[in-house]
Amino acid sequence: MGRALTETYGNPSSVHGFGQQARAAVDRARREVAALVGAKQNEIVFTSGGTEANNLAIRGICEASTAHGRHIVTSKIEHPSVRGVCDVLEKRGWEVTRLPVYENGIVRVDDLRAALRDDTVLVTLMWANNEIGTIQPVREAGELVRERRSAGRRHLWFHTDAVQAAGRVAVNVDEVGCDLLSMSAHKMYAPKGIGALYVRRGVRLSVQNVGGHQERERRAGTENVPAIVAFGEAARLAREEMNQRVAHDSALRDLFERRVRETIGDVVMNGDRERRLSHLSNISFRFIEGEGLLINLDLEGVAVSTGSACSSGTLEPSPVIRALGVSDEVARGSIRFSFGKDNTEADVDYVVEVLSRAVERLRALSPLTLAT
Amino acid sequence: MYSTQFTDHLANPRNTGELPGANAVADEKNPVCGDRIRLSLIVSDDTIQSARYLAYGCPPTLVCGSVLTELITGKSIDEARKLTRADLVNAIGGLPTRKQHAAALAIETLNAALRVVS
Repeated sequence: MGRALTETYGNPSSVHGFGQQARAAVDRARREVAALVGAKQNEIVFTSGGTEANNLAIRGICEASTAHGRHIVTSKIEHPSVRGVCDVLEKRGWEVTRLPVYENGIVRVDDLRAALRDDTVLVTLMWANNEIGTIQPVREAGELVRERRSAGRRHLWFHTDAVQAAGRVAVNVDEVGCDLLSMSAHKMYAPKGIGALYVRRGVRLSVQNVGGHQERERRAGTENVPAIVAFGEAARLAREEMNQRVAHDSALRDLFERRVRETIGDVVMNGDRERRLSHLSNISFRFIEGEGLLINLDLEGVAVSTGSACSSGTLEPSPVIRALGVSDEVARGSIRFSFGKDNTEADVDYVVEVLSRAVERLRALSPLTLAT
Repeated sequence: MYSTQFTDHLANPRNTGELPGANAVADEKNPVCGDRIRLSLIVSDDTIQSARYLAYGCPPTLVCGSVLTELITGKSIDEARKLTRADLVNAIGGLPTRKQHAAALAIETLNAALRVVS
């Protein structure tokens, strides 16, 4: 990446030598990103991140398919970048079916099958959830879409937001049968501000960024060469080190959850215990609110996240946790803990220690404990 | 994002819990976001002798309760009634606009408790 900022500084669209060096660097990175998901190099479109990839996929396919239908099937636990685009399209006349999840945080294939209509043009279902890590039945969804297509629904497409999954689990676009797949580089230790959309050969998108020939006319704008190079390298490392990273993260995550159960009472572990990503743990701490706990942990140098946040007196408990069918109070007390390759068992010990202190302090302060 | 006073009160909340022998208790909830403050006072000789609180909600709500108990202890009922949301926000060292509702809830809870006294 350093070389791309200094030596390989050319514009990949330029025909001079400096430009062609940059083009070669971008092409190498594109091969690595394609290899991560079993795609061909020319099926990868670099974007500014997962959000843009999701926007390009959903808007792009829906706007290109208006002659064939205006119905989208998605789930209630999608990332805001998918949810937001579907909401906008709904306001513009598309119909959106949002599939429920159940206590385990996983969509049921029967619900998807029942939701498909003759005018459905897009199924967009995330590979794995960003808050609770649950892995969705994307293989089955892809199979269902392929079946319908074979039966004559030629303009039905399948998009999966694999931002959380790519680099964390084995992802193969042909095995899943998706037409579009979103990725983000910073989920695999590359810089923020770079992502990619896999677009299966033959799938036509309505282009969102126009005014240049970059990315095979699918996304205009000079390429962010240093970030793309870093993404390529991160994708290579994620592919090569996937098994050991998964083993490392899941060992720490399981240790953490065991220690939390032993140390802290009245906790709810959110989402399926088995079908989930190895590095995420989502826990609700009863009687306290997630943001209060988050800031308390932050003061001790521990960075976590919560899906609930209040502003202007309007609290929206995480839609993902609410979709599990839990109470507002449980949804408000949810915290997501993420583990990465550089974390250690000592980190787990420290987090459990400061977490139990913070939970104890906040519960001592909570009027919700009075009634119990 | 938050002031030193804020983080100090968040890490070390003052005057927490229920107050044995309290003669004015109010328990107010923000119906929109679910934040809640419970304030217990011992009032005698027209003065707030002692104050304790419990709170559930976002960090500003927890901190507003703590700072409020410090501000009102030793004050006369009239002085406490004159306390405004801005006074509380100033004592905290400022709050982002979107978190001002926490100070509003604290002042509402104080006024509700003072109504019990009078």
